[in-house]
Amino acid sequence: MRYKNQSIGRAIRACGALVGLLFLSAPVHADDIPPLEERLQLCGGCHNPDGNSIIPENPKLAGLDEKYIARQLADFKAGTRQSPVMGSIIPMVDEKEFKSLAAYFSKQTRSGGVAADAKLAAQGKEIFNEGITGSAVPACAGCHGEDGSGSDKFPRLNGQNSVYVVNQLLSFKSGARTNDSKGLMRSVAKRMNEKEIDAVAEYVTTLKEAK
Amino acid sequence: MKKYISLVFGLMFASQATLVLAAGGKGHVWGQMIPERAEAIRLGGDPVRGEEAFRGCRGCHKSDAAGLKDGTYPRLTGQHASVLVKQMTEIRAGIRHNPKMLPFVEDPAISVQEIADIAAYLSKLESTRENGKGAEDQSARGKKLFTDHKCYTCHGVNGEGNAEKAYPAVAAQHYEYLLREMKFIEKGTRGNAHPDMVKAIAKFSQEDREAVADYLSRLPDFRTVAATASK
Repeated sequence: MRYKNQSIGRAIRACGALVGLLFLSAPVHADDIPPLEERLQLCGGCHNPDGNSIIPENPKLAGLDEKYIARQLADFKAGTRQSPVMGSIIPMVDEKEFKSLAAYFSKQTRSGGVAADAKLAAQGKEIFNEGITGSAVPACAGCHGEDGSGSDKFPRLNGQNSVYVVNQLLSFKSGARTNDSKGLMRSVAKRMNEKEIDAVAEYVTTLKEAK
Repeated sequence: MKKYISLVFGLMFASQATLVLAAGGKGHVWGQMIPERAEAIRLGGDPVRGEEAFRGCRGCHKSDAAGLKDGTYPRLTGQHASVLVKQMTEIRAGIRHNPKMLPFVEDPAISVQEIADIAAYLSKLESTRENGKGAEDQSARGKKLFTDHKCYTCHGVNGEGNAEKAYPAVAAQHYEYLLREMKFIEKGTRGNAHPDMVKAIAKFSQEDREAVADYLSRLPDFRTVAATASK
């Protein structure tokens, strides 16, 4: 599988210091939940304290639906969503913390993004809004909204880091990420080629939520 | 005795095979009320909730539910709620074969309640976009074929179908979609076609199907016809 910019390696290095620190501390007990501020240092190392990750490989969590974040955390915990980085962090986070973390990040304002390639983003806009009829790719806007604001079932995409979006779509395409509902995103991503994936990712990063 | 037993088994197998063939696959008998369809009917639909639940369908069927003119995706507006519930639940159950749509109509993308809601919403929705029609107007020949073959018995004189029996409205549907489904019905790949429809469509040549599809695509939305008649 192709990962843009060896994302995992970079993300691991970016988070390495924090992970190292945590291994030194004692495991979390249910009755010993650290305050949110402390937790934000942990999550914020990779995702930024306001949830707008500046590391291209890591997702922005700001403004994602609360239920969606909680579900992803639970999936990381259960191993139904795999990630080398999150896989090493999640054992240190108690399930009882998921709700407050999800609530916090869902309330943060999503920052905007800029397309590195405007022509590619324009191609992506066409796919995002109209789909690809020949290969039966539905318009992304259908589920994620024209402005990419998402819902509790479908994640917010506006302003998302394009490298992260590419990697997720490739993971769905290869079948490595399996926590989509009944293979919905896997079935869509399988119908897309890598060029189309790049284009659509380039577009979503430029999207701004409609007021 | 042995001979007798094998005869009984043979007959049982033959009768079962006939049923399966008539149903077009999977052993489903047409019209058999599957549990989720019954559940959706029992729950009843709310069009306001349906508009929100339809969100996940817009990627293909578009926000006005008019589908695509080239017939890739059917027009859903003006279809009977009973038909929409039947089709959605039967696709979900794998009886109607539609692997592309399947993940979009399953839990947790859509619940049984949302199926009822979407059906209620779509049956009241107006389509403003023009539907796809045949290249040349063959409505006179198409109408004659539709009448001669008594298609109206199920699909109605105005292509309005039958809400009570869950026979689909076919008026104002995209030409290419109608043609494609006729082919799938004949081949048995649709999976949930009425056995009489499977038999009926086999009698149509490709040219005849094109004429009928063209005629139906040029019919107005049956609800418009009903509204004019009641004035």
